[in-house]
Amino acid sequence: MNISAKELAQWLDGNRKVEVVDVRREDQRKQWPLRYLETLETNLDQLSPEKLKTTTVLICQFGIITQRWIEAEDPDEVYNLIGGAQAWNAYKKDERDLSRYSRQMVLPEIGEEGQRRLLESKVTIVGVGGLGCPAAQYLAAAGVGKLCLIDGDVVDITNLQRQPLFRSDRIGDPKSDVAVESLSGLNPDCAVESIHTFISEENCQKLLAGSDVVLDATDTITARRLMDEYCRRKSIPLIYGGLYKFEGQVSVFHLNGGPSYADVFPESVTGGGTCSDDGVPGMLPGIIGSIQALEAIKVILGITPNLSGKLLLYNGLSHTMEQIELNV
Amino acid sequence: MTIQVTVRCFSHVREALGKNVLKLELEDDTDTFTVEKKIREMAGDNLDGITLRVAVNSEYMPEPIALKNGDEVALIPPVQGG
Repeated sequence: MNISAKELAQWLDGNRKVEVVDVRREDQRKQWPLRYLETLETNLDQLSPEKLKTTTVLICQFGIITQRWIEAEDPDEVYNLIGGAQAWNAYKKDERDLSRYSRQMVLPEIGEEGQRRLLESKVTIVGVGGLGCPAAQYLAAAGVGKLCLIDGDVVDITNLQRQPLFRSDRIGDPKSDVAVESLSGLNPDCAVESIHTFISEENCQKLLAGSDVVLDATDTITARRLMDEYCRRKSIPLIYGGLYKFEGQVSVFHLNGGPSYADVFPESVTGGGTCSDDGVPGMLPGIIGSIQALEAIKVILGITPNLSGKLLLYNGLSHTMEQIELNV
Repeated sequence: MTIQVTVRCFSHVREALGKNVLKLELEDDTDTFTVEKKIREMAGDNLDGITLRVAVNSEYMPEPIALKNGDEVALIPPVQGG
């Protein structure tokens, strides 16, 4: 059984009789003492289910070891603290329960500090289609604080095969509105805004201003060029994704003065058809949109290496990935 | 003197030639522009209107460069589906 840091705090505030046991190593207890929490300290190998007489909450560093122990021993009335000491201390800092992020906070590249930075960040996704749907889902779940979804289109029956935020009963409704509704129950930490319009020269600045990252999930090169130019001027990282049948491309543009879309594909180029024209298996935008979302959080958190200065080429038939160095 | 280069085909190029990879035997000092022209000829009219970007040995080349024996040339069209 699992409980969150917030639930444990409520139990203790409500004077519920509960034994809290810190099973971490001595060095971990010293380095990360538990804030405002009285515990028994013991090693997990000295613990047996018979010794635990009352309701007990076990705390390890990240809530993983204790969860495994409980699954193996199956004791009565023993709970694992989700996210462990890290989640408890994060909660006690500002009463914000970060336990839902414990599986990513355990990564040293993210940690509690990175999670808080994600919660303060704003990502704008232009295009809520094949790429925008998975990217929005994963970014909302990851705890990006503000997500702005821009699309002037309405849900069409042919979108449903690859855009899982939409259902048959919403055909004809604005995509950005339906996406916000679908995401609303996913993560209360993430405020999702719908802007039902197409990006244009007139509204580009207004729509993209204040974004930490812009995610390009459009299906026209004209829209891409508008974003590229604005993001270049404002030095906003632009996470590019594009599809052709079973293939996809991803890159990060304008990061710390890095290359732009226009450097790689200059003004004169044409780009073939859209997914509607050429066809696409629904999973392909799922993969490419997820890679874009991953690059977005890496850029926000300064995690390297990333795809700045590189063009990733993915082939969904052979499952090969190649990177082209963009020394421009 | 001739050189051998490998051409890696992406998206529209792959489709037009029906191949992921092909080997070309070329005159010494052939440049990437000539390779692109050759590929377009092989593709008939299937690459008309499609601009290709070129990388040599996984490095983007904005301008044509002379090729060496064993070089790997990638031809990459822009894609716009989303």
